[in-house]
Amino acid sequence: MKGADRVRIPLPAPRHPATGDDAAPASAAVPDAPPASDAPSGRRRTSRPRTAVALVLVLALLGCGAGLLVRAQQLTGAPALHNRALTDTEATSRVVDEVGGALARVFSYGPGDTATTRQAARRLLAGRAARQYEALFGQVGQRAAQQRLTLTTHVVRAGVTRLDDRGAQLLVFLDQVAQRAGKPATTVAAQLSVTAELHEGRWRIVDIRSR
Amino acid sequence: MARTTRGNPLLTAAAALALLAAGGAGWGGWSWYAAAHDESAAYATARDEVLAAGEQAVQNMNTLDHRDLRRGLDTWRSSATGELLAQLDDGRPQFERQIRQARTVTSAKVLSGAVTELDTRAGRASVMVALRITVTPPEGRPAAKESRMLGELTRTPGGWKLSALGQAPVGDTAAAAD
Repeated sequence: MKGADRVRIPLPAPRHPATGDDAAPASAAVPDAPPASDAPSGRRRTSRPRTAVALVLVLALLGCGAGLLVRAQQLTGAPALHNRALTDTEATSRVVDEVGGALARVFSYGPGDTATTRQAARRLLAGRAARQYEALFGQVGQRAAQQRLTLTTHVVRAGVTRLDDRGAQLLVFLDQVAQRAGKPATTVAAQLSVTAELHEGRWRIVDIRSR
Repeated sequence: MARTTRGNPLLTAAAALALLAAGGAGWGGWSWYAAAHDESAAYATARDEVLAAGEQAVQNMNTLDHRDLRRGLDTWRSSATGELLAQLDDGRPQFERQIRQARTVTSAKVLSGAVTELDTRAGRASVMVALRITVTPPEGRPAAKESRMLGELTRTPGGWKLSALGQAPVGDTAAAAD
């Protein structure tokens, strides 16, 4: 009890002297000390607009930075950039050449060489395209022999719609010339959407859809 | 005096934040500048614009309703420029008569398209488009046929427009190869 009393009495004492660092509480606690309270409040009056200006500037900078970063992200992350069709000229003409060549090869055969065409197809086609081709070619091979049919496929125009490191999507216009023994040749137009994958440095056709 | 030299933690934090903000703005500005002036990015964007414009224009040029000829042919005009536009204007009176007599409704659906050439400096591009065209005669059932077209586009103030359009020829390559 005695200790508590002793603590309570000196408590207000340290607050009063103006020597204390805590100037603001001192001025608040001592309202009748005008010179002590005037100085800090005057400084605050000039620094308040400055602080506000600084804060606005910082916020504006942060906003600008964030906005520009978002815009940059939009520009570089745009789906258009992941597609290298035409932007990478070399890769584009390579996939056009290889896929066009593969189509012309696997859809060209004569009565005597269906076996070699089938062999080429095993090398140039994979996945769904290979399965479709096998199913189709069972009949085609027989017919080619019976009707002495020669089919020649030409690429009229090929374009790349999508191209990245592993895959490509192409649109190919083909002419298919069918020649049966003793009959005039007939030409049929074909439009194909082709999906190709890069496999061991070569483009392989994995899907063919007629358009 | 003692207060400012010793450092107000709030002031230090504010200064650090300001520095960070300035740095962030600088970084953002630089990234944006690099991205906005990336030539291949601009080229890729142009490619996608050309494809979209080309497919839409080819579809427009294969859509016509005899009951609303004027609007249909105006859409044709707005999709074309240069030589193609001149051809359309030259042949318009005769063409209108033909369609009024035939009373057909033609609609088209683009199945797939690709840009085959693009010169952003010259403002020229080539596209290939596979489409299905459906023609409905006044009597009888609509007839659909697959079509393949080659178009050339030219950049105009109003966007990319077709300056030439035609069917991709069938049988030409065979003759050329032989």
